[in-house]
Amino acid sequence: MRILIIEDEPALNASIVTYLQQEGYSCDAAYDFKEASLKIADVPYTCVLADLNLPLGNGLDLVKLLKENTPETGIIIISAKNALDDRITGLELGADDYLTKPFHLSELNARLKSVIRRRNFNGHKTIQVGVLEVLPDAAEVQVQGKKLALTKKEYDLLLYFLANRNRVLTKDAIAEHLWGDHVEALDSLDFVYTHIKNLRRKIMEAGGEDYIQTVYGLGYKFVSP
Amino acid sequence: MRILTKTSLYYLLVSFVVFLAGGIGYYLILQGEIYDEVDDQLFTDKENILTYIRRTNTLPHVTSGVTETIVVKEVTSATPVLESLTDTLIYSSYDEESIPYRRLTFTAYQNGKAYQYTIMKSVMDFDDLFESTVFAMGWTFVMLLFGLGAVNYSINKYTWRNFYDTLGKLKRYSLAQYGPLQLKPSNTTEFQELNNALQAMTHKIHTDYLNLKEFTENVSHEIQTPLAIVNSKLELFMQSDNLTTEQAKLLEEMHHSVSRLARLNKSLILLTRIENREFKENEEVPLHELLTQQTEQLQEIIEMQGLQLTQTIESPVFLLMNRGLAEVLLSNLLINAIQHNRPGGAVTITLTIANLCIQNTGQPLQTAPDAFFGRFVSGSTNSGSLGIGLALVNKICAIYSLQPSYTYQNELHTLCISFPEKSSK
Repeated sequence: MRILIIEDEPALNASIVTYLQQEGYSCDAAYDFKEASLKIADVPYTCVLADLNLPLGNGLDLVKLLKENTPETGIIIISAKNALDDRITGLELGADDYLTKPFHLSELNARLKSVIRRRNFNGHKTIQVGVLEVLPDAAEVQVQGKKLALTKKEYDLLLYFLANRNRVLTKDAIAEHLWGDHVEALDSLDFVYTHIKNLRRKIMEAGGEDYIQTVYGLGYKFVSP
Repeated sequence: MRILTKTSLYYLLVSFVVFLAGGIGYYLILQGEIYDEVDDQLFTDKENILTYIRRTNTLPHVTSGVTETIVVKEVTSATPVLESLTDTLIYSSYDEESIPYRRLTFTAYQNGKAYQYTIMKSVMDFDDLFESTVFAMGWTFVMLLFGLGAVNYSINKYTWRNFYDTLGKLKRYSLAQYGPLQLKPSNTTEFQELNNALQAMTHKIHTDYLNLKEFTENVSHEIQTPLAIVNSKLELFMQSDNLTTEQAKLLEEMHHSVSRLARLNKSLILLTRIENREFKENEEVPLHELLTQQTEQLQEIIEMQGLQLTQTIESPVFLLMNRGLAEVLLSNLLINAIQHNRPGGAVTITLTIANLCIQNTGQPLQTAPDAFFGRFVSGSTNSGSLGIGLALVNKICAIYSLQPSYTYQNELHTLCISFPEKSSK
C-alpha cells in the first residue's frame, strides 16, 4: 500500500513517514503543491495525507484533483487551521477524514487504517488478532466465535489498540482518542486506566490472552500474539 | 442637562437682571428728563412775566389752560415767597384721578406792590410711565425669549447635529467589529477638532489592535506546526526499545505537557476565531436536542465521577446561531459543572424558554465572580483545568446576545444563560 504525505514542514513530514513505514506502508513525501500534484498524477496512491496550507497552492485543490482523477484514493486532510468551514469544505469535496495539527501519530495511523478499511482495499472484512476477531461493519468483537459484550468506549479503545499494534500509546493519546475535546473535563489518566482494566478483564474472561501490556512510565502497548 | 439648555438658562437669568436694571434706569432717567423739561418751561414763563412787567410796568394778562395754570394774587405778607418749586396733585374730574402738577411760585413787584405768581404745569402721570416702561421691557424680553428659542433650535439642529452624530458613533464603537471611526465633517471648529482627535485616536487604537490580533493569531497558528513536530518526534522516540524506566517517565511527562499545550492552543485559536466572528453560518439550532446529545456524551464521565445528573427540559428552544459554537457552548458549560464539582455531588440542568441554568455542587470560588468568565481564571486548584472554557462561553454569549450570569448560594454554583427574547420560540 502506497501512501503520499503532503506536508511542507520537513521535520513533521519525516516523522509521519517514519511512523507509517514502521507500520509497513511504502511512503512518498511531497513538500509543496506542485510536487504533490505531479506525484498524484504519476502514482495511484492508496491514501493521501494532505496539508491544506501548502506553498504554491491550496490543499483543497489537491482534494478536487484526486477526486476527479483517482476517486479510489483515500484522502485525509491535515490542517493547522482547525477551521470548521475548511473541515466541511474538505469533507464535502470528498476527503475521508480531517485531522487538526498537532495530532498524535497513533491517531493519524488509526484514522488511516480506518479509511483504508472502509474503502476495503484488502478485501478484509474482519480484523483477526490471535483469538480476537473484530467485525468493524457490525462494530462487534468475537473471541473464539463468542460475542464479546463491550461498551462503545471499550470497542473504540480496542480498535485504537489494534490499529497501533506493538506501539506504545500514552494515556494522553488514548484519552484524546476516546473523548476528544472533552478530555479536559476528566482526570483523563484514571479514566483511561479504568477502561483498559475493564477491556483486559472482558477479553481474558472470554478466554483471550492479556494482549495489553503496561509500559511503565509511558503508557500501554497492544502486543500481537 | 444639555449644554444648550444650560447656557440658555444662564443667558435668561442675566437677561432678566439686565432688563430689570435697564427698566429701572430708563424709568428714572425719563422721569428726570420730564422734570427738567417742565421746570425749564416754568422758568421761561417766569422770565417772560418778569421781563413783561419791567418793560411795560403793567401786569401781563394771563390765561390758564389744561396743561398750564397761572394764578396771580396780591400779597401783603412781610415775607413774600421769592421762588419755590414744588410738586402737587390736582384732582381732575375728567380723568377721575389726581394728576401730578409742577408748581413754581414766585413774587413779582409792580409799582411797589408785591404779586405772587403761581405757575402750574401738568407733568406726565408716572404710573403710566411705569406701566409703559414695564410693558416695553416685558415685550422686548418675550421677543428675546422667542429669538433665543429659535437660535437654540437651529443650533441644536444644525451645529450640534454633528456632535451628537459623533457621540452616537462613539457609543456604538467596537474595536472588534469596525475599522477606525468614520465621522461627518463639521464646520464648527471645536467639533472638527474633536472629530480629528477622535479619528486619530481610534485609528491608532485600531492599528494597535489589529497588530496585536494578528500577532496572537500568527503565534497560535505558527505554534501548531512546531507542536506537531515535537509531538510526533516524542511519539517516535517512545517507540524505541531499550528505554530505561527513568527515560520513559521523562518522555511521558513531556508528551503530557505537549498534549496539554496543544489543547490550550486549539482553544485559544477557537477563541480568536470567535472574536473575529469567523463562524458566519447560522441556523436555528435546537438547543434541547444538542443538550441531550452533550449530556449523553458526558454521561460516562458523570457516572465515573459519581455525580447525580438531573436534566429538565421544559420546552424546546431554538436559537439562531452556529451549530458548532452551540456545541462548544454547551459542552464547556457542562464540563465546567463536572470539573468543579465534588465527588458524589450533583449537576442540575434546567432549560426553559427564557434561559438555560446549570447548577452544580462545589467549593466556593476563590476569585471574584466578575473575573469568572475571564481567561485563565481557574476557580479551583485542579491542575487539569485550563480556565479557558468559560472565556469561550462568554465570547459565544457576547456574539449571540446571550446573557451569562453566575451565582453561588448554599454551596451551589449556578450558571445561567438567558436567551434574547425574540430568538426563543
